[in-house]
Formats: sequence, C-alpha cells, structure tokens
Amino acid sequence: MKTKKNTISATPNVTGSFSSFDFAGKWSTPLFLIVIYVVIGFFIWWLNIPFIEDIFTSSTINLIMVLGFQMYMGNSGILNWSYVGYAGIGAFFSAIFSMDPMLKSMQIPTMYPFLVKLHLPFILALFAGALIATLVAALIAWPLMRLSDSVGAITQFALLIVINVVLSQWSQVTNGPRTFTLGGSRKTTYELVMAVAVLVIIAVFMFKESSLGLKLRATRDDRYAARSSGINFIAVRYVGYVASAFIAGFAGGLYSHYILSITAASFYLSQLFVVLSMLVIGGSMSVSGAFFGTLVVTLARQGLSQVELGLTRSGFEAYGMTEIVVAILMIIFLIWRPNGLTGGRELTLNSFKRLIGKKKLKPTGNRKKMEEII
Amino acid sequence: MENLSTLAVKSISKSFKGLKAVNDVSFHLKTGEILGLIGPNGSGKTTTINMVTGMLPKDSGHIEIDGQDISDVPAYKVPVYGLVRTYQKIRLFKNLSNLENVMIGAVGVGIKRREAAVLAASLLTELGLGDRINEPAQGLTFRDQRLVELARALAAKPKFVMLDEPAAGLNELETDELFALLKELPAKKNIGMLIVEHDMRLIMSLCHRLHVLNYGRTIAEGLPDDVRKDPEVITAYLGSAAS
Repeated sequence: MKTKKNTISATPNVTGSFSSFDFAGKWSTPLFLIVIYVVIGFFIWWLNIPFIEDIFTSSTINLIMVLGFQMYMGNSGILNWSYVGYAGIGAFFSAIFSMDPMLKSMQIPTMYPFLVKLHLPFILALFAGALIATLVAALIAWPLMRLSDSVGAITQFALLIVINVVLSQWSQVTNGPRTFTLGGSRKTTYELVMAVAVLVIIAVFMFKESSLGLKLRATRDDRYAARSSGINFIAVRYVGYVASAFIAGFAGGLYSHYILSITAASFYLSQLFVVLSMLVIGGSMSVSGAFFGTLVVTLARQGLSQVELGLTRSGFEAYGMTEIVVAILMIIFLIWRPNGLTGGRELTLNSFKRLIGKKKLKPTGNRKKMEEII
Repeated sequence: MENLSTLAVKSISKSFKGLKAVNDVSFHLKTGEILGLIGPNGSGKTTTINMVTGMLPKDSGHIEIDGQDISDVPAYKVPVYGLVRTYQKIRLFKNLSNLENVMIGAVGVGIKRREAAVLAASLLTELGLGDRINEPAQGLTFRDQRLVELARALAAKPKFVMLDEPAAGLNELETDELFALLKELPAKKNIGMLIVEHDMRLIMSLCHRLHVLNYGRTIAEGLPDDVRKDPEVITAYLGSAAS
C-alpha cells in the first residue's frame, strides 16, 4: 500500500526536531569501519603468525591507497588513473628524504648531490614525500579539471604514463629503471599502518561529509545543476584531486619503507588494477565501499593465490589465475551491480538495524554476504 | 517594510549561427512580484533564462541587481548575488539524499554546512517532504522531485527565482497544487519570481505581470488582462496552435 499522498502546502505539517548531527544514520560509519578494522588487526596480532601479519600490513597499505582513491574518484565520479603515479612519487621521495646520505651515495651513485644531502627523520620523510606528490598534483592538475567523462579518464591515463616514464627514467632521482634499494631495516611497522589507516578512514569520511565533499558529489551527479547552485566545479575538483594525491603519496611512502626496494613499475598498471578492482567491487561512491572492497578483494586474492600455488605444485601451471578471476569479478560487478557490494551506501547503525530487522542476520551479516560472492 | 530589490534585464540578445534566438529583450522584476515569461515554442524563453543566470554567454546587453552589474559574473557566482533557477528537465543530484540536495543550494552560496542542514530540513518540511529527508532523491515521484528542486533554489535564500516550466510533467491536480504554493511564495519569502509556462489558464491567474516573446522579440508586456487582449499575442498563440 502506498502511503497517503501529502498535499503541497506552504505551512509546516511535520513538526519534528531536526538535528544536523545524525549519528545512527551517518556518523556511525567511521566508528563501524574502525572497529571492524581494529578487531581484525588485534586478532591477527594475537595470532602472532609473521606471514599473516605481513599480509595484514601490506593490505593495510592498499586500504589506505583505496581510501584516498575513493576520496577523489568516488566523490567526483572521474576515473583517476594517475592516482597510483602519485603513490610512486611519494614512495621515491620519502625514501630519498629518510635514507642516510652515506647509504644513498652508495646505493644510488647517480643521484643529484643536493638530494643525497637531504635527510629527515622517518615520519617527517613520509610527510615530505606526500607533500612532493601533492605539489606535483597541484602544479599540473588545474587544466585537467574541466575535463569529464571519457575525456577526463583518458587524460588521467596519459598523465599516469607520463609520471611512470619520468619515474622510470630519471636516474638522478629514482635510480632510473634499476631497482631503488632503501637498505636498513623495515620502518613501516604493523602499529604505524594501523594508526594511519584509522586516521585516513576518519579523514576520508570527514571529507565526504564536508561542504567541499558535498559540493564535489553534487558535481558528480549533475554538473550543470551544481553550477547553477553556486558551485565552481573546477575548483572543488581541484582541491579533491590534490588532497587525494597527498594520501596516495603518504601510502606510497609507507609502501617503500615496507618493501624496501622499489621500481617505477611498482606504481603502474598492476597496482592501479589492484586499487581499482577493490574500489569498484566495494562500491566507489562510499567510504564503506572502499573498506569492504579492500577486505573482500584481499581475501579473494589470498585465497586464489593459495589455489594457484596448489595447482602449480600438482603440475598444473596456473600463474596469473588470481588476476583473471579478480578481473572477471570486476566485470561481473560492473554489469550486475555497478555500485558495488555496498551499492554506494554507507554502513550505518540504521543500515544494521534494517539488516537485522529484515533478514534476522547476525551483525556479521554483511561480511557473510560478501564471502558468499567470492 | 521589507527591503525591495530589483532585477533589471537590459536589452539582451543572443544569436545561434545567425539566427536571432533572443533579440533586444528587456524586463525588470521586483521582489514580491510574479512575472510570467510566455510565448510559443522556440520563442526564446529558456535562452533568456540561461543568459540572465549566466549559464549562456550573451552577445550584448546587461543584467543588474539593485544597480549592480552582474553581466560578466560567472554562472557559479550568480546565486551569491541572489538569483537562482530551476530547470524544465529536472536536474537533481540523484545519488544524494533529499536533504543533501537542498543543502547544496545553501552551501553553494556560502552558508555553513550545519546551518545549511537545518535550513534544508525546514524547507523540506515546509513543502511536505519532512518525512523523507534522508531518502535518496532518485526514489521520489516526479512531483516530489520538482519540490526538492524548488527547495534547493529557495535554500540559497535568493532574492529572485526563475522557474523554467515548473509544471512540466505534472498532472492537472499536481499543477494546481504547485501553483497554489507558488502564489504564496513571493510575499512569504520576499522574492521576485519569474515563471516560464505554457498553460495560459494558470499563468493568467498566477502572474502579476506578463512578458510575451515571439521569435526572440518582445511582442507585449503588462497586466495579464491587457496582454490577453493584445492582437499580436492572439495572433502568435493562434498561429502556433493552428500550425
């Protein structure tokens, strides 16, 4: 039965108090995501299996990247292929800043002397690397921001190629096509990535709900209506793009100090595919989508690579199967569920209540549903 | 007395590849009044709105609000000067909630997010959509989408609103309801309203003054009763109806 039609009237016919702070409907999301994430984190810490801890750390770096990816792509609706390029810039520059000058001159003899001299404490080096990525984005992005849809995507792709070629050829900065080895011990720790991930979840969510994020989402849905509502779409896109480059750069720095030897190829199409598949499968329009996409695709990839390994051991070569299955999964999602697992919505207290009320599922219902899909 | 503002449109023109879509059109609009912009199909009504709101660059002419020239203000700054519009084809932000849609109107002119949320909620409540503020805009009926678009325009606290065929796609009952609502708005919110509409019956009962276009030129202006009797207007309407 349809609800009774309410008549148009100029007098208020609903008198309810309205609060702009809607915890159950909105602000419970970051809390949920953080609780789920921290619980997984502590569980793995409690298991104390180095192999799994490594997977958790590297997946968290992916999570941070996907969150930053969502921040611009999800809110603006523009495919931002160049994103992983900024992660590369952050990765190389944070390494240059954090490495000991002696070590640098040994590892990368071709490096500019002024870069060799630079030396900052690790955490500051991460910020400095991220700021370089931000600066590069700030300098080149403005003319690209007016381009939308396929034109926008193609220019972003071309930009990724430019960044990749520069990173892979500039011997005086990145050691060129040779591997850039950081040396020393692993500085990106389990605790550090957890802390950063929690902060980034909060930051990305706050961005989405801020005036700027709201304006950016409006331009995603209708550029003309946004313009006639007082929004300069180029300016809001620009700020979103540059801010997401900062998160990319920071994640890149965490990555290089975790892996300890990088090349420009680490920040190119295969990494782009990883973050893109996570965001598309999770649902690009919500922070929850970025989070659950990362979770689901990480679990799927780990499971598939075990299968791959098993098959190969039993004499059936199956290398690359993981990528193919994830790619097919992405295609399936784009056809049948283009807004991803989350459908573009956020996980909130209200959505939990609805879920429990409707299907009588336990609070883990959402994850169970996702596991069925794998 | 409330402050009275005036929007003055001074001889604006626009050609598309030599075709004069709007030719030397001038009118003015005061807060509190309703001006009907009418004319047969293709007479240049929407083009006029597009030019006045800065969406479309004009070839010549000026637009002033209280003597301040806003002719060269970019479209995204026009709402800041107190002039907003709606579209004939509804343009909502379909993935945002109704509340967020209306908030955009306020946030777009620089109102703080929290204040915008409270304002948006009260506007939606006022228009009878108070119980669906958190629903996504794309789930609404056509009529309700019209109302959300109107609320979004009002959230900018405008002095002037331009409505491009607000009743397009509505049935007769919904149209009557909408026009009853619109009739009250100018006095209540102290806004000047310009309405583009085809339905002569409605426009005659609603508008204080009329401005008639045909082939991009002004053919008549004045009180509804006078315009109705104007021979050129009769020809234009009968001519278009006959063709």
